[in-house]
Amino acid sequence: MAGTPDNTGAQAASMYESAAKIYPREMQGRFANLSKLATVTLLGLFYAVPWLMWDGRQAFLFDLPARKFYLLGLTLWPQDFIYLALLLIIAALSLFFFTALAGRLWCGFACPQTVWTEAFIWMEQLTEGMRSQRMKLDKAPWSWNKLRRKGSKQFLWITFSMWTGFTFVGYFIPIRQLGIDIVALNVAGWTLFWGLFYGFATYGNAGFMREQVCKYMCPYARFQSAMFDNDTLIISYDAKRGEPRGGRKRSVDQAAAGLGDCIDCTLCVQVCPTGIDIRDGLQYDCIACAACIDACDSVMDRMNYSRGLVRYTTEHALHGDATHVLRPRMFVYAALLLVLTTGLITSMVTRTPLILDVMRDRNTLYRELPGDLIENTYTVKVINQSNDQRNFRLSVAGVTGLTLDGVGEEVTVDGGGLLSLPLRARTHRDNAYGIMEITFSATASDDESVSVTEDSRFLGPTP
Amino acid sequence: MISEEYRGAKQWSRDKQAVATVIWISFLAAAVATMLFFAVFDPSDLAHTLDPELEIGRQAGYAIGFFFFWVIAAGCSGVTAWLVRTARKRDAQHR
Repeated sequence: MAGTPDNTGAQAASMYESAAKIYPREMQGRFANLSKLATVTLLGLFYAVPWLMWDGRQAFLFDLPARKFYLLGLTLWPQDFIYLALLLIIAALSLFFFTALAGRLWCGFACPQTVWTEAFIWMEQLTEGMRSQRMKLDKAPWSWNKLRRKGSKQFLWITFSMWTGFTFVGYFIPIRQLGIDIVALNVAGWTLFWGLFYGFATYGNAGFMREQVCKYMCPYARFQSAMFDNDTLIISYDAKRGEPRGGRKRSVDQAAAGLGDCIDCTLCVQVCPTGIDIRDGLQYDCIACAACIDACDSVMDRMNYSRGLVRYTTEHALHGDATHVLRPRMFVYAALLLVLTTGLITSMVTRTPLILDVMRDRNTLYRELPGDLIENTYTVKVINQSNDQRNFRLSVAGVTGLTLDGVGEEVTVDGGGLLSLPLRARTHRDNAYGIMEITFSATASDDESVSVTEDSRFLGPTP
Repeated sequence: MISEEYRGAKQWSRDKQAVATVIWISFLAAAVATMLFFAVFDPSDLAHTLDPELEIGRQAGYAIGFFFFWVIAAGCSGVTAWLVRTARKRDAQHR
């Protein structure tokens, strides 16, 4: 740890002394607690959710090999892609909404990069100790103690990363069976590959790259400022109150000495994971983790100054103007979010778990059959999106006397199954001429409300 | 003046920044492209279209698709970054 700058007195020196023990995440305080809470909640959800069961199967399973998504009681298919698209749009809008409201909340508390880094730093502290101990350890020559500490850190990191990879794959492949397969050393090649890939990415991103990802690689970090306005919550240093900064003894009358509230202890810089000086103003490197607020508050408490020299504030508030939380852009974002979310939920709840797909055979226009009949052939696919086996009635309408051949009264489709039927539609020659629009429909025999239609064409001879 | 030692993180070199950015952004692009592409196309159908004899499982299909997109995207942004960074700087008077 660096020595005490010469221009500070004995009282301030004790500040530096305690600062020496502090490294980013060792900061105690309101926001550090909030951040821990967020980490535990989010990581807890990530690791627990694949183990939840619903009706005897995994509650959340994105079964890519079978091309089906299970979400609680719902089964989604590639045809339901619109839901995924809607969900992504809602996620993006929420990000805009919260960024405009409260700045980079996402970065500081919810981003996987932050959350996993938090967990990795915790393991680092557990094995290698606090910041000064870690720095000493890094400089020290290799010894049994160093090997033991570094070794146990790597052991924890790697085990945690592997478990993360396993959990990640468990969202796509039933996790209980996967666990059994791993114990039996019987894992499919690609499954193993993706598990290791995700595990390794976690290890690299959270163990080594950390906030470098935010500074150099994250697009959101660069464009989020476009969503800021003068009423957005930002973490800022109150220069009017703090300047002129300078070290002083606690006994010194700051007014007489002509000093502001900032004692220039640099604690806010030391705790900053991205290594910026918040006193230089708003910078895009700032991930709004609020560690500097905790740091500065602790110093203000010891100096008996009021808290909040570094605080959550807005540009307007800093300039002495009123802050407006309710402003047009908030209403626009909120309205859009409300409409999309309501739409998504409504359409998911009222969704008909049945898909009918009709393809006309393009090779022949039509066939003439004995008895003055005209016939068109179709490939009809019935996809039963419910989880139980069901019977469906198929029918066609739109042309007088049109009947279906190749299908009985009802067809049976397994739960989550697809039935592909070659069907022939026929009618008398007198009814068929040119191109005619027809409509196929399928209705579940046990529930009339489960019914869908699909348009197609019937071709006849041109007079 | 704040010494480097106080700071939590070291600065990356320009080259390291460029390489990391290209890899990471093309990774994100590939993830999105894979999701969109395979929401529409089934990899096992695609394999049959290419060659009826070809037997590729869905998992392998997804992986091949993902790395294909990643390589394409990384190549594109890599060349872009290289061209931008190696271009001769404009003279001050032309700014």
